[in-house]
Amino acid sequence: MDINNNILVIEGLSVGYGEPGAAGKPVFSGISLRAGKGESIAVIGKNGVGKSTLLRTIGRLQKPLGGKIHVKGSDIMHYKRNAFARLISFVSTETIHVSNMSVFHLVSMGRYPYTGWTGKLGDDDYTIVNEAVHLAGIDDLKCKPINEVSDGERQRAMIARALAQDTEIIILDEPTAFLDLPGKYEIIRLLNELTANKGKTIIFSSHDLNITLQETDKIWLMHNNKITEGAPEDLIINKDIYSLFKDSRISFNFESGDFRLARRKVGKITLKGEGPLKYWTQRALERLGYEICDEPDEGTSVLINDKNKTAEWIVMKKGIEIKCNSIYNLSLHLRNINS
Amino acid sequence: MISWEAKTKLDKRINNRIVLILVILTGLLIILFVADLCAGPVKIPVRDIFSMLLTGNSENQIWATIFFDFRIPKAVTAVMAGAALSVAGLQMQTIFRNPLAGPYVLGISAGASLGVALLVMGFSSYLTSQSVNYFGNWAQIIAACMGAGLVLFLILAVSARVQDIMTILILGILFGSATSAIVSIIQYFSHQSMLKAFVVWSMGSLGNLSAQQLNILIPCIITGLFFSFIFSKILNALLLGETYARSLGVNIKFARIMLFISTSILAGSIMAFCGPIGFVGIAVPHIVRILMKCANHYWLIPGSMITGAIMLLVSDIVSILPGFDAMLPVNSVTALLGIPVVIWIILQNKKITSISQ
Repeated sequence: MDINNNILVIEGLSVGYGEPGAAGKPVFSGISLRAGKGESIAVIGKNGVGKSTLLRTIGRLQKPLGGKIHVKGSDIMHYKRNAFARLISFVSTETIHVSNMSVFHLVSMGRYPYTGWTGKLGDDDYTIVNEAVHLAGIDDLKCKPINEVSDGERQRAMIARALAQDTEIIILDEPTAFLDLPGKYEIIRLLNELTANKGKTIIFSSHDLNITLQETDKIWLMHNNKITEGAPEDLIINKDIYSLFKDSRISFNFESGDFRLARRKVGKITLKGEGPLKYWTQRALERLGYEICDEPDEGTSVLINDKNKTAEWIVMKKGIEIKCNSIYNLSLHLRNINS
Repeated sequence: MISWEAKTKLDKRINNRIVLILVILTGLLIILFVADLCAGPVKIPVRDIFSMLLTGNSENQIWATIFFDFRIPKAVTAVMAGAALSVAGLQMQTIFRNPLAGPYVLGISAGASLGVALLVMGFSSYLTSQSVNYFGNWAQIIAACMGAGLVLFLILAVSARVQDIMTILILGILFGSATSAIVSIIQYFSHQSMLKAFVVWSMGSLGNLSAQQLNILIPCIITGLFFSFIFSKILNALLLGETYARSLGVNIKFARIMLFISTSILAGSIMAFCGPIGFVGIAVPHIVRILMKCANHYWLIPGSMITGAIMLLVSDIVSILPGFDAMLPVNSVTALLGIPVVIWIILQNKKITSISQ
């Protein structure tokens, strides 16, 4: 065991389709990664780069084409099926549409590796299933059929099922896909609670960069046949994140850590004001393509007047003054001036 | 503690309801079994039916022969066939996650009919008509078994190599179509009387079994049902799809092969002894799911067994056409009786019940 207390160690792994050996078609090779106990890890990269393939390989749903995956010090291929099912659980992107299956029944399927041949739940199993349901915050839905709940609720039920499986590692393939923004944050918050309070190691793939950069302990970045791991902040400081957007029209803001579409430049503008009003006005101006400069300029300038009850924005250009009562009006005027 | 409250609330309520449904169905099954024994062209009073059931003989020798050599084997065959086909259909619907799958989806029926077609229309020209009559029954059974076995072997060989379950489904349908095409060619070139014999076989019959043949059929069906019951836990896991089943620790290839074998024993032996009996295998699992409102095979399997038996007993009683001297082919009756029931259920539920979308 090394100092980092790694529960999952991947060495020189190559993932892809087909059989190991010459016949295999690797999607991604040379993967060496670590996952610590109680960490939340996001796998990010473009569509088709091999995120799902990597996760499926770790979950032993497909064979590795080369290299080794060690969980708790042993090669995963050496675990018996049942023992492995008690070690790693998997939540896929597939939506389950079984009619007549209640949420409770679905979650209780997680006890499969622990029950006897009839699949009958014992008292302990009931306690664990109910706890999983409770942790996922779906107590009210227990009796509801699984094909009558919303996408977010179904995703929670699937996570509860993985919790009922009582594994140290939970792998989720795009758990936040198809969810609205609050839904995405709710799921990520739930995952973070599980790492913090239950000591679970959670590995999930995601396209929601803003959320994952803010909320995860570690990022596995897959790009250009290279996989980089580190805290999200490390990847930002080392400029690894930039590589994702090299060829696209998206720019990454180094200070705030978020993404903007690259825009056409309209010109420079001076902005005077204070507080949140200034911040949001600046965002609007940037969206319109202005570069903000502090020096008074002979060009256009915007002054925010928040002395009165309602704020107003005063646009000045070549001595002409126009007053606007909202940012939207301001943007209309600025467009007029330019055309 | 949340756990005990939840346990008593959820589990007991659901289980009580399902047990009640099973008890009612069993009662219905017993009533229909006796009704089936009473139905037939020769009228035997109900009192004598009961006394024969209890004492095992009767003063009226003709009645005793009709009762013990014909009606009881036929009613028992109906129960066996109904239970076997329904459970086979349930298994196939779950493993393929397809509401339209049935016991014959693997092409087993096509394989069996190829065996019988070869026997009846191909080789029988080498036999005298008397020897056909003498061997007829057993030879048909063996031919059907060999045909079904051949298709099963192909399916198993494929499923050991192919990952995707949908590919297996499509290959099963293709095998079935190919064998049906060969059967059509044999029919085209065969003699009229042989053709009639084959067509009669293809209409299905519950009444051709001797007590001796039942002694083979019953253990086959019980073995198949036993397998199915043992695999109810695996079937439950397969409801979630193969990815989830695998991550729960199910050995998918083993599960598939065992379930295919169990389905083939169930559907294949009914096919061999009774000929093709359609529709029961597709319709009954849906009826049971709607009745029980549950997805647990631990309950669905016994439910399907009993409901399937009920459905075939009703079909048999109707096919005797009480009051007339003629009999209808049972294969047509199951469809004509079952289809309105299922249409009614679907319209009542205002959506097509499916095990998966």
